[in-house]
Order: sequence, then C-alpha cells, then structure tokens
Amino acid sequence: MAQSGHVVAVQDVSFEVRTGEIFVVMGLSGSGKSTLVRCISRLIEPTYGHILLKGQDLLAMNDKQLRDLRRHKISMVFQHFGLFPHRRIIDNVAYGLEIQGMDKATRHQRAHEVLKLVSLTGWENHYPGELSGGMQQRVGIARALAVDPEIMLFDEPFSALDPLIRREMQDELLNLQKLMHKTIVFITHDFLEAIKLGNHIAIMKDGALVQLGTPEQIVSQPVNDYVREFTKDVPRTKVITANSLMQPCPVVALAQDTVMQTCLRLAQTPDQVAFVVAENQQFKGMLSLAELQSAPPHSQLHTLIVPFQRFATTTTFLEQLIPLAVQTAAPIAVLNSEQQLRGFIDRTMIMLALGN
Amino acid sequence: MWTIRKELRTPVVHPLAIYINAMPPTDIKRHIFWPLLGLGLLLIIAWGLAIGPFPAAGNLHLDVPIDALQGWVIANRLTHPLFLWFFDPLSNAIDFGLRSTEDFLLWLPWPVLMLAIFLLGQRGGGLRLALLATISLLFMGLLGLWTASLQTLALMSISVFICLIIGIPLGIFAARYPRLDTTLRPILDAMQTMPAFVYLIPVLLFFGIARVPSVVATVIYALPPAIRLTTLGIRHVPLAPIEAARSFGATRQQILWGIQLPLALPSIMAGVNQTIMMALGIVVIAAIIGAGGLGKEVLNALQRLKVGQGLEAGLAIVALAIILDRISYAFSRFDRRNIVQVGFRLLPRHLETFPPAQWLERGIDYLYRLGQWLTQSVTKSCLIFVKALHAPTADDLAPILQERGFWLISLIILTITLFISKYILQISQFPATWTISIRQPTDTAVVWMRDNLYQIGDWPIGTGPLSDFVTLYALNPLRDVLMTVPWPFLVMLTAWLAFLAAGKRLAVLSGLGIITLGLLGMWEQSMNTLSQVIVSVIFSLIIALPIGIMAAHNDTFEILIRLVLDFLQTIPIFVYLVPVIMLFNIGRVPGVIASIVYALPPAIRLTNLGLRQVDPGLIEAALAYGSTPAQTLWKVKFPLALPSIMLGINQTVMMVLATVITAGLVGGGGLGLEAINGLTRNQTGRGFEAGLAIVILAMIMDRLTQALAKS
Repeated sequence: MAQSGHVVAVQDVSFEVRTGEIFVVMGLSGSGKSTLVRCISRLIEPTYGHILLKGQDLLAMNDKQLRDLRRHKISMVFQHFGLFPHRRIIDNVAYGLEIQGMDKATRHQRAHEVLKLVSLTGWENHYPGELSGGMQQRVGIARALAVDPEIMLFDEPFSALDPLIRREMQDELLNLQKLMHKTIVFITHDFLEAIKLGNHIAIMKDGALVQLGTPEQIVSQPVNDYVREFTKDVPRTKVITANSLMQPCPVVALAQDTVMQTCLRLAQTPDQVAFVVAENQQFKGMLSLAELQSAPPHSQLHTLIVPFQRFATTTTFLEQLIPLAVQTAAPIAVLNSEQQLRGFIDRTMIMLALGN
Repeated sequence: MWTIRKELRTPVVHPLAIYINAMPPTDIKRHIFWPLLGLGLLLIIAWGLAIGPFPAAGNLHLDVPIDALQGWVIANRLTHPLFLWFFDPLSNAIDFGLRSTEDFLLWLPWPVLMLAIFLLGQRGGGLRLALLATISLLFMGLLGLWTASLQTLALMSISVFICLIIGIPLGIFAARYPRLDTTLRPILDAMQTMPAFVYLIPVLLFFGIARVPSVVATVIYALPPAIRLTTLGIRHVPLAPIEAARSFGATRQQILWGIQLPLALPSIMAGVNQTIMMALGIVVIAAIIGAGGLGKEVLNALQRLKVGQGLEAGLAIVALAIILDRISYAFSRFDRRNIVQVGFRLLPRHLETFPPAQWLERGIDYLYRLGQWLTQSVTKSCLIFVKALHAPTADDLAPILQERGFWLISLIILTITLFISKYILQISQFPATWTISIRQPTDTAVVWMRDNLYQIGDWPIGTGPLSDFVTLYALNPLRDVLMTVPWPFLVMLTAWLAFLAAGKRLAVLSGLGIITLGLLGMWEQSMNTLSQVIVSVIFSLIIALPIGIMAAHNDTFEILIRLVLDFLQTIPIFVYLVPVIMLFNIGRVPGVIASIVYALPPAIRLTNLGLRQVDPGLIEAALAYGSTPAQTLWKVKFPLALPSIMLGINQTVMMVLATVITAGLVGGGGLGLEAINGLTRNQTGRGFEAGLAIVILAMIMDRLTQALAKS
C-alpha cells in the first residue's frame, strides 16, 4: 500500500493507485467499472471490502466525514457531464465551493482561474445548454478541479463526445495532468483511450479483474484471449517501446580496447558490430567489422569512433524506431536516461514486433 | 381545458380483442370459456332463488353517523374551542385575504390592469399572447362584467395561492416518502371525482364566514394537480445532476433547494396551470355557497332562465380561462434562451412577402428596439445610482438586472400609469358606456329554436321526439335491465372484466367496489347513473370518432374543430343547460346531451392525435402495396391509433360521469340527484353516501378503461 495511494476492492478486485498517476479502469458495459468508481466515493455503498486512502478506511466514515471527503478530497467528472442546467457556467464550476460555504467573491475568483485552465474564459455567464458537448465536459472538469481535490474520478468522461473532440480532450487532460499531478481514476470502455492515458490499466470483465499492468505489459503480454481481442486494434507501434524489444549487446568493448582485441572477439561471434562504451557504461559508439579491419590493429577504439551515432532510448516507441531502421542496416543502440548502453535493436526485431 | 394536456400522455394499448387473440388456447378456456359458463350458471341460480337488485336490508346506513356529526357541529358551532380557536381564525384570515385582493384589484384603474396583463403576456409568450390576453380582458369589460370578472379573479388568486402553499410542500414530501405518496393517491382521486355538491354543506358549516366556504370548496377541488405535478416534477429530475451534487458532498437539503426544485419548476408550473383551470371549472358551483363574480352571474341567469345573460357570463369565464391558461402555460414552458424572438412577431410567417404585413412588422420591430433601449438605459442608470451608494452591491446586482431588466422597467411603467390614471385622469372602473351585448340575439335564437326545432312540422322529428326516443328505447331498457339483474351476477361480471383487463388485484377491488354500492344503499341510483353513463359514452363515441377521423385528414377542419373544442371544454355546463332543457325537456336526456357535449373534446382530440401520430413510413408502405384510402384507414391507421383512441374513451367515460352528476340539477335522477339533495334538502349523510358511490363508480371505470388501454 503506497503511502498516499489507496486500495479498492470490489468483487474480488484489489488494486492500488499511486499518487499522481492516471489509473485507468477499462471494461465493456456491464463489467462493473462504473459501479467500481462510484464505490470509491460511496455514491454506491459497497457491501463488503475496504477502500483505503492514506491508510484510512473510507467505508468506516460517518456521514459527516464522508461529506467532508467528497467536498475536499475527491471530485468526480461524469459521462453525461452532470452539469446543472439551471445554473450559469460560473456557478456550475463554483458549486463544490458554494456547498462548502465559501463566500461568493472568493469562489467566483477561484472558478475564473479554473475556467482559464480549461480555456473557457468568456463563457462564465452562459448556461450549459448553450455550450457544445466538448465545452460542457471542460466545464465538468473545471468543476471537479475547482475544489482542488487530491483524487479525481472520471467516469467515461469522453464517451459522449465525437471522436475528434474526444482526442482533443484526451490531449488536454494529459496537458492538465502535467501541471496538476492529481491522482486520477479514469473509467473508459475504449481500450485505445486507456492505452493513451493510463499509467496503469485494470481490465475488468463481469465484475472481476482480468489483467492489471502498464499499457505496454498489457499489449505485449495479454493474459488471455479476452484481452488479446482488445489489443488487436491497438497500433502496436505506439505502445511497444525499445525497452521491451531490445536484446543484450553480444560484443561490448571499452573505449580503451585495441582494434586487434575487438576484432578477435567479433570473430568468435556471428555479429558484425561492436558496441563501444566508456568505463561508466556511457555509450560511445558502434564499430563494424569492416571499419575495424581497415584500421591500424593497435590503435585504441576511441580514436576511430565518429562522434555522432544513431541511438534509441528505452522509452522510444516502435513507431520512432522504424525511421531509424530505414536509414541503415546497422543495429540501433538502446540507452537509458543516463546515456548508458542497455541493449540493441535491429531490423529483424522490428519486423518481428510489427508482425506479431 | 386542463384535460387537454393530460391527454398528451399516450400509453401503449391493446384492446380486449388483441388480448384474447394473443392467448394460448388453454388460457382462452380458463379465462373466457369457464368464467362465462360460471356467470351463466350464476345468473340462472340467482333467478331461481329470486335474487334481484341489492337488498335494502344490506344498507349500512353510513348517513346516520355523518348526520350525527353534522348535528354536533351545528350545536357546538359557536362554543367549541375547535371552532373558536381554529376554524374561525382560519376563516377570518382567508376572508381578509380575499377581501384585500378583491379591493386591490377593484381599486386599480383598468388601464393599469390591462397593461399588466399585456406585459405578462409579452414576457411569457411574446406579442401574440400579449394581445390575446389583453383583448380577452377588454372583452370581459365590454360585456359589462368588469367587476364580476375581478371578483372571480380575486377568488381564483386566493384559492390557487392556498392550493400552492399546501400542495407544493405536500408534493415535495410525497416525492421524498413513497409511502405518503401511495396514501395520498386514492385521496386525491376521491377529491377529484367527489361531486362538489357533497361537501358544500360541511364546508359551509366549518368555514361559514362570508365567501370563505367557496374558497375552501375551490381549494378541495383544485388541490390535487398542485400536489401531483410537484411530486411528478421532483421524481422526474434527471439523476445525473443529483448524482453530481452528491459527489460534491451536497446535503439532502442542498440538493432539494439547489437542484431538484429548480429543475422541477416547469412541472410545478404546469401544476399551477392545471390548478388554475380546475379552480375556474368549479366557479359556478362555488357560487351556490356564496362566491360572487362570474359564477354568480351564470347561476342567476340559470335560475331566471335567461340564456343570453348566462352566455355572456359564460363567455367572460372562457375569456378569463384563456388569459390564465395561456399565460400560466407560457410560463410553465418558459425558456430563458428563447426570449429573443426575431422576425415576424405578430402575423403568421407565410405573410412575409406581403408588403403591408412587412410595414406592420417593421413598426413593431421599432417599438421592440425602443423597449430594449429603454430597458438597457434604465438598468444602467439604476446600476450607476446603486454604485454611488455601495459598489459591491452593484456588482452583485448587475447580472440579476441583466436578466430581470424587463421586470424593472415594467414596474416603473406600471407605477407611472397608475399615477397618471388614478390621480390625474381619475379613472378607476371600466367605462360603463363601452359595451357590447349578445343577450338579445341569443335569447331570440333560443326562442326560435324552441319554437321550430322542438317538433318539426307534424312528423315525429325534432328534439322533443328525439328526447322521447332516447328515453324510451335506450335509457329505460338499459336502466331496467341493470336494476333487475341479480346483484351477485353484476359483481362477478365486473370482477371478471377487471381480471381480463388487469388481473386479480383489480378484479377483487372492483367486485368489492360494486358490493359497496349496495352497502351504501345506493344500488338503484348507481344503476340508474350507470345506464346514463353507458348511453352517453356510446353516443359520444358515435359522434366523436367520425369527427376525429375527419380532423386527422383535413388541417383546416382540425384548426376549426380545435377552437370549438376549447370553447366547449371551458364554458360552464350551466350555460347551455337552459337551452338544452328547453329543447329536450326536463329529465335524463338533457343530462345525457350535456355530458355528450362536455365529453366530445377528449374523444375527438385523441382520435385525431392517434391517427396523426401513425408512422408515415407505414402508411407509405400500405400505399405502395396499392391500398385504397379506406383500406389504409381501417387496416393500418386505425389499429395503430387504437392506444390513443382507447385513452380517449377513458377520458370520455370520466367526463361523462362528472357531467351526468351535475345533470342531477335538471332531472337527471340517480346519484346526481342524491348528491344535490344532500345540498338542497340538507341531507348531508345521504349526499355523502351518493358521493362515495360516485367515487367508487368512477375509480372502477377509470381503472378498467385505463387497464384495457395499457394491458
């Protein structure tokens, strides 16, 4: 149980949400995902189980504690927006603050700030019915943000929007999240949306958890046919990273090694390329067998290396690897964020990954 | 008029025939064959045992305790604390309210009132409504009924106000506590079906101060829709905003006041509209126990057989109904987004290319702009003034004034008009010299009809012979059959029909209901009334269905018939009772005719509506297969319109029953006569028994026809 995460258990479902991450619950209609999210803030009372927030069980709370929780810690965004048609936008956004008892000037000022975040400045005095679907959901998000909650629950917020607007809203949510770092539980029936937004994804079916993992884990290692069906439509190039494709480099030479030593090591393997690193595993470059053979046998490798080399990082997506592989037949080195060599990828591996 | 909107609910319906067709053979045996055989046997056995109508010995004599209670009230009226400390102060308060409202309305100079109605209409529904309402008010003045109309308006206002302060909170509680709702339901049904004659005397006894009893009687009659539509409105608030409010930690009170009530407002306003229309529907009966105004005018005319005078007062009631109905309806559908109207404001849009129409509309447009400019400048100067006093208040006020600027400017204009007309021109009452009158021509026409239509030539044609024919060949035989049939047979027959329509529960309740008619000692009267109802319903349908079919196929005819129907539903039945009596004699026939007239509108409307709502795709399909218009009507449209038509039959039955009771006044006999005797001969207990019998009959028939329409 993470320090400020919480654990949700519904019908034998347990999972943990980490602070500041987007946790997506994905499932088809009737899979229990909407019930699950309502159990978190007890809009639906779970009959059995525990919901822990920073170690405190929400199910043990009395009415007043629960109300305070809803007013200050958890806020929710709804599928059909759930806006109040009889209140102006500004009063919709300020609703959560109003029922906390905040005075009008303060809550309106806060509402203005939040509306600016979702780029709806200028619409304060309109009524929800006058706004498009996408704009209405921005109001829904603004209303949830206004109370500055620790946790935000999104119940299929973009399902009612048309595909173009949906994509726009997803990008906007990701941008907002970069600023806000809220802990978000996001419900969706759209697997691609789950892949795009989620740091972790829980796939539900018939009220039970089918698979839990990062988007990449789910796409590359679906646990059963049910999950595999979903992954079929996923553009794998956008999910699979170099990290899961790469293989360890067979011949790694130090920069101080001589050409002769390296040639001998290469000759013992079927490989044609040596990866050169410094003492601290910092990647220096690659040398092919042909380059080595045409060089003086006793010179050290670092004198031969051309400074610029193509490389990928562990987080590079497959779709970005393809143009790299197109340019040359040579393998691509994969580095971590400290520029250390982690492995390599060649055309064959990319083609295998695409073909899967 | 309130029924018009009630009709718009169209449930899905199957007639009995479809129900039987759909049953598997064993079920037909079980539900149709065996019961029929049983009923036949029952009939034979009952005849053998010489069981006829419900025995008089079975009368429970419920009237004895009721009369005893009434005796107690009369004896203690002046001394008991219940009256001294509860009913008397309450009556005084109501009397004070009524008096002040009336005095205020009569104190207002007539131009102010007209302007106020105009502005209300303008705000609620635009220029057309404003002009319609103003002309209606003017019409009431021209008929010489200005004072009477305002008295009625005062009565309406107080009654409706009381209905709302009782009805809305009750409605809210009923929405929250389903058990209260289920308890209230039958009580409200009874309030709506119990003839007012029955409770006039008790109301008089409990609230016997001046015109207070008429207010109370009106409240009893008009209260149900206020409660029902509040409950309905709150129940039908979409769940999404309520869940959202809960998710933000709103308390139940915050949800009720902040979300549910504002969103239920259109439904509550529809309740206000229906309450007003119900209250207006009882205005003549209320006059029996002392209400003044238009009701009294109608009643006076009825008593002196002055048809023209009665018609004038009746028309004034129609005019008042138009004003109150259209304005309250407009506000119940009030949508703040649609305030701005563009283009043709007064004339129909298809005149757009016609130059004089364009000039007129352009003129109106200038007036609108002037009004807008005036509103804005007044609002602005008002804000500047407030800002000088206290800046933050002005900031809070700005958005409110932006939305409500119309009311501010209206108030200012009305005040100015008030001062000018009251203190400078010194006008108050509507000028007595401005009159139009239709008394003379109406009376002449009625006399002509009596002389020429009662019997045409020497042949047995005319209204008189028709009346005799209906009595001899329809009403009498049916009444005699119903009165002599063994009572257990009738109980079982009703139960069986109810079972086929809705199942065991309704079967048991209907059977018990029929037995109760006997226990109340009202068997004979109920059978008499039932025979009148059946004859009226059959005649209504024979007339209504062809008219409805015609209206569905001809738009011009539909518009015409709609006007006539609106008129027929609003004009008090008492207005046309007199000419009907002149033409058809005293007896049961005038009651039948009056109830047919009153019951035609829903039957015609719903037939028309049902036929018009048939999916055009299906009609197209029928035509594509080469159907003739008649084939399309009978094979496609009619079956599909049946749900709506069945609902029309339900409404017809209910309205016929209500009217046949009123017809007790003109010799209708049966339960109606008993109810009215309760009033005129001071037999409250007996009247109450008759009232209960009517409620029972009404509920059985309502549930039965509704179940048939839904099953």
